[in-house]
Amino acid sequence: MVTEFTEKIVEVGGNKVQILTGGSGDPLVLFHGAGGNSGWLRYVQALADQYTVYLPSHPGYNKSERPEWLETIADMASFYTWFLEEQGLEGARAIGFSMGGWIASEVAVSCRHAFSKLMLVDPVGIKPQRGEITDIFIISPAQINELLFHDPTQAPEYDQLYSQPPTPEQAETAETNREMAVRLCWKPYMYDPRLPGLLSRVNIPSRIVWGREDRLVPVECAELFHQALPKSDVVIIDQCGHSPQVEKPDEFVRVALEFLA
Amino acid sequence: MTDVYYFTEMPFAEFPESEAEKYPSMRLTFPNSYFDPGKAHDLFKRYLDEYQYAEEMGFDGLMINEHHNTPSCMDVEVNISGGILARITQKAKILMLGNMLPTSDNPVRLAEEIAMLDVISGGRIVSGFVRGIGIESWANNTNPIHNRERFEECHDLIIKSWTTPGPFRWEGKHYQYRAVNPWMLPLQKPHPPVWVPGTGSPETVEWAARNRYTYAAFLTPLDVAKNLFQRYREYAAEDGWEPGPEKFAYMICSHVNETEAKAQEAGKAFLWRMNYPLRGPREYWSPPGYTSRAGASATAARRPTPLNELSYQELQERYHLVVGDPDSVTEQLLHIKNELGVGSLLLEAQGGQLSHEDTMRSIELFGKEVIPALKD
Repeated sequence: MVTEFTEKIVEVGGNKVQILTGGSGDPLVLFHGAGGNSGWLRYVQALADQYTVYLPSHPGYNKSERPEWLETIADMASFYTWFLEEQGLEGARAIGFSMGGWIASEVAVSCRHAFSKLMLVDPVGIKPQRGEITDIFIISPAQINELLFHDPTQAPEYDQLYSQPPTPEQAETAETNREMAVRLCWKPYMYDPRLPGLLSRVNIPSRIVWGREDRLVPVECAELFHQALPKSDVVIIDQCGHSPQVEKPDEFVRVALEFLA
Repeated sequence: MTDVYYFTEMPFAEFPESEAEKYPSMRLTFPNSYFDPGKAHDLFKRYLDEYQYAEEMGFDGLMINEHHNTPSCMDVEVNISGGILARITQKAKILMLGNMLPTSDNPVRLAEEIAMLDVISGGRIVSGFVRGIGIESWANNTNPIHNRERFEECHDLIIKSWTTPGPFRWEGKHYQYRAVNPWMLPLQKPHPPVWVPGTGSPETVEWAARNRYTYAAFLTPLDVAKNLFQRYREYAAEDGWEPGPEKFAYMICSHVNETEAKAQEAGKAFLWRMNYPLRGPREYWSPPGYTSRAGASATAARRPTPLNELSYQELQERYHLVVGDPDSVTEQLLHIKNELGVGSLLLEAQGGQLSHEDTMRSIELFGKEVIPALKD
């Protein structure tokens, strides 16, 4: 396993988009969550051993520009249909994490040939019926990190990700990303009431993956996504929080590769 | 000439302070089970009586404000308290500082309400426009990213509705109307004076200066206020005009009593106001996107000690709280006035747990001794 990727800036509709790519094989597009693009982590490399992985930073995140009109998740989905077309990625496999799962869902809803397979990992976008989605805007980044994991000691990259204080540049990026999340998801907070209805026409194979101990987005939402997506199955990962790809990367990658094959 | 304003946030301090210690903040999420409408009824009566007495004793103006989800301020709508003052007072200016523009979804209704108050009060309204502290974005659930945009567009629409004969259409980014044509228009022409408060955001100073509005510095250290006013003068100079003292106001807490000792004792009541309502997590005060990067770095650069970390003595040394006998208070207020060149002093002369008796004594002494001396 060689960790190798390239970072490039491409233009999509006149806007600069940052993409990390690596690996070989059929294309696989990853949609990061509300916190931003956390880079070429272990799970990304493991997926790149089987696929050519594209990990773009959403407009307004990291080094990607925000077009002035882009204010909502639906706007983001429209932008991504341009992205997929211009990068020759229509029909790729896709995985969306948390808020990225919401974006990928909206892309699938708005363009029938966008993806051939869709995997959603602890996605937001559908309002829970019993619990609530934790408000990450009103708590500190440190409090978010604490809620992110069921057991941080089982996340092999935890120290690498969180033990060092951020550089001024990293702090600036984190603030930019947090503001972009606020712009996109303030109200209604982290869901769109029309999404379940719209997902009913998405008939590509799809898989919903959830950490059973997710403290940010209740696991009950897995069932709601499953009900909404006609050709979906559900995999619940035990003893795991909101980010299975970081907390249990090996199990996550196994579940992902099995579905994507 | 100095105008002196009387102000209270109309606090509800009717619960043990130890209860406040149990929560991260006295704002936003402090449980409203501590509210007692019966006590609030009595307090409103008391506070409104005090406003009437302040006018009677010679304050030039009465200032009111608005907050949400907090016992530190029971006034939830300046246009309601403004309406009451418009009717129970006769000559004092009514400084509403102010209406929260970004959290409003209906600027035309705000324009109507303020106009109606101006008409009823006989042209005594000073119309403050505020962004609202960060907590108001949570309490009203308005996206903080849009706070400044909405502030500016809401303002533009209110001013246009006061100054441009209707009907006209408004198709903005945040507000749209088919027929802006409010029947109710202000008595003062072209419209009531507009004031804007600030605590340091560079954009607010510039915006106030470009619009030639009065800028009111709130509880800022003297040197910071001086700096903000200097920036205002620079923007004005760029635009080719020179602001007079009427463009600058300064808000502090103040208490006067017969003797220094009595004043120092009673003035401690302000510590409630300087402490609990100012505590809280960073996210409450500054939700992501609420403060621009320029504003954030301005705050970081001046690094003022938070008021709730200052002692009673330090609060007085820094003029956040001016307490004393009439001579001492007069001397201190004259010092502030001369240092800053302000045309208006906004005195929060009832705060926290300050009793009715001490408040009335203070109002009386301000009226009889301090205000006349300030005007000499």
